[in-house]
Amino acid sequence: MTGDELKEYIVGHLEGKLKPLESGKHDPLFEVQESDLLTVAQVLRDDENLKFDFLSCISGVDTGERFEIVYSLASLANNLRIDLKVVLSREKPEVESVQEIWPAANWYEREIWELYGFDIKNHGNLTRFLLADDWDQGYPMRKDWDAPDFVRFPELER
Amino acid sequence: MSGLLTQEFTVNMGPHHPSTHGVCRLILTMDGEKVVKIEPVIGYLHRSMEKICENRTYAQCVPLMDRFEYVTAMSAEYVFVNAVEKLAEIEVPERAEYLRVIMLELNRIASHLIFYGATAMDIGALTPFIYGLRERELIIDLFEMTCGQRLTYNYMKIGGVSHDIPKEFIPKCREAVKIIGEKMSDYEGLLNENPIWLARTKNVGVLPTDLAKAYGVSGPVLRASGVKYDIRKNDPYSIYDRFDFNIPCRHNGDSYDRYLLRLDEIRESLKIIIQALDGLPEGDTLKKVNPFNFKPPAGEMYSRIENSRGEMGVYIISDGTTKPLRVKMRGSSYNHVQVLPKVATGVLIADLVATFATLDVIMPEVDR
Repeated sequence: MTGDELKEYIVGHLEGKLKPLESGKHDPLFEVQESDLLTVAQVLRDDENLKFDFLSCISGVDTGERFEIVYSLASLANNLRIDLKVVLSREKPEVESVQEIWPAANWYEREIWELYGFDIKNHGNLTRFLLADDWDQGYPMRKDWDAPDFVRFPELER
Repeated sequence: MSGLLTQEFTVNMGPHHPSTHGVCRLILTMDGEKVVKIEPVIGYLHRSMEKICENRTYAQCVPLMDRFEYVTAMSAEYVFVNAVEKLAEIEVPERAEYLRVIMLELNRIASHLIFYGATAMDIGALTPFIYGLRERELIIDLFEMTCGQRLTYNYMKIGGVSHDIPKEFIPKCREAVKIIGEKMSDYEGLLNENPIWLARTKNVGVLPTDLAKAYGVSGPVLRASGVKYDIRKNDPYSIYDRFDFNIPCRHNGDSYDRYLLRLDEIRESLKIIIQALDGLPEGDTLKKVNPFNFKPPAGEMYSRIENSRGEMGVYIISDGTTKPLRVKMRGSSYNHVQVLPKVATGVLIADLVATFATLDVIMPEVDR
């Protein structure tokens, strides 16, 4: 299946549940409503002609205006690739965990919870693992968190 | 040993442990010598490189990528540069593409040689380490000759490569390829039928196919579990579709297969290098792009390549300014550390070391 055929097939198969986005340059990119995510994911993984059984990556995104979360999927059997995007509300960013469908999501979602502060529902193991245990300065990957080029640790200064 | 009362106890392995290949900490629950539970603790190398990239121009991000994966730094640079070039639709000169493939494959061999040496050393055999690093030195010398650096190269540029190869590169490279090809039988002779090696690796740390796919395991580890999937063939990037090479695949999914598969891959990489050297065209190596005012058009994409450990990817979002809006790095080690408790629970502690080593993880890729 070429990119356009794939796009058509998926849109036809999941009528109304997702819409293709123009901003995706190389592979097809779709936007999904948060409430439809699990249904869409299930179909994408189990459909005979798609079989997206390989979750490459989950990226949290803060564009400055809105929060997004992008799932990069691959199909090993049919050799296809797509991205799925879910737009989250700025006030209450929360999304359902996709671990049931792709167990690899566990650590990716945990990282997003830690660095972006999105609430991952039904995750089960949302504990800190990249940042320091006593980190209390908010969510560093958000755009309103300013990254200083050099951080001074007062306890190390004499 | 029925009737013998044992008590479970907790052992802390790492973060500074030679067999964790960086700074990974494993909290182990042991029953005698048997591992009952593994809990990986990561984050010791976290530098928030993704955030740093958001505050740098595209050209400034490239040397950062070296620190993302320093054993195969060429591929880490390439995956980023490749994504940016696709976003900005930059045509790369033919000669630069060939040089990139040569460097990527040389780097893959160097990484597999480190794997060969370090894994054997974890199990207690010191000779393979000396052998592996001896031939790796030939490759590192080639890199140093070309771009002046031995580990973090900053060789890939947006639009090509930073330096053309010097005159003596091609004969030296052919010689290195020949030497490594000849030494392969030495490597195999040392370990393939070594009883201690077999006892530690054969049927140990078995990763079934379903589990491998579900946990996003990629690269040699996935292929050792019976899935013939290599991005160089399945989703070709650069000019890999022009070369004739095979994808080695094995079916047991144990530590021994993962080791054998990497040796097979060295042979295939040698084939690619010879073909690339034969076909190397003359011409420019860099299409000039102004690094200070380089603005790819707005858009987003996930670019992925096959590096020596597996699928390496970058998700880039450009908003049309000089700095990326988002750079998400995906390293295969992240998934390999995640799957470790599934693979190694129930093995002896010495086998755990061997299993962890044959997953071939590198920690900066996990922590970023």
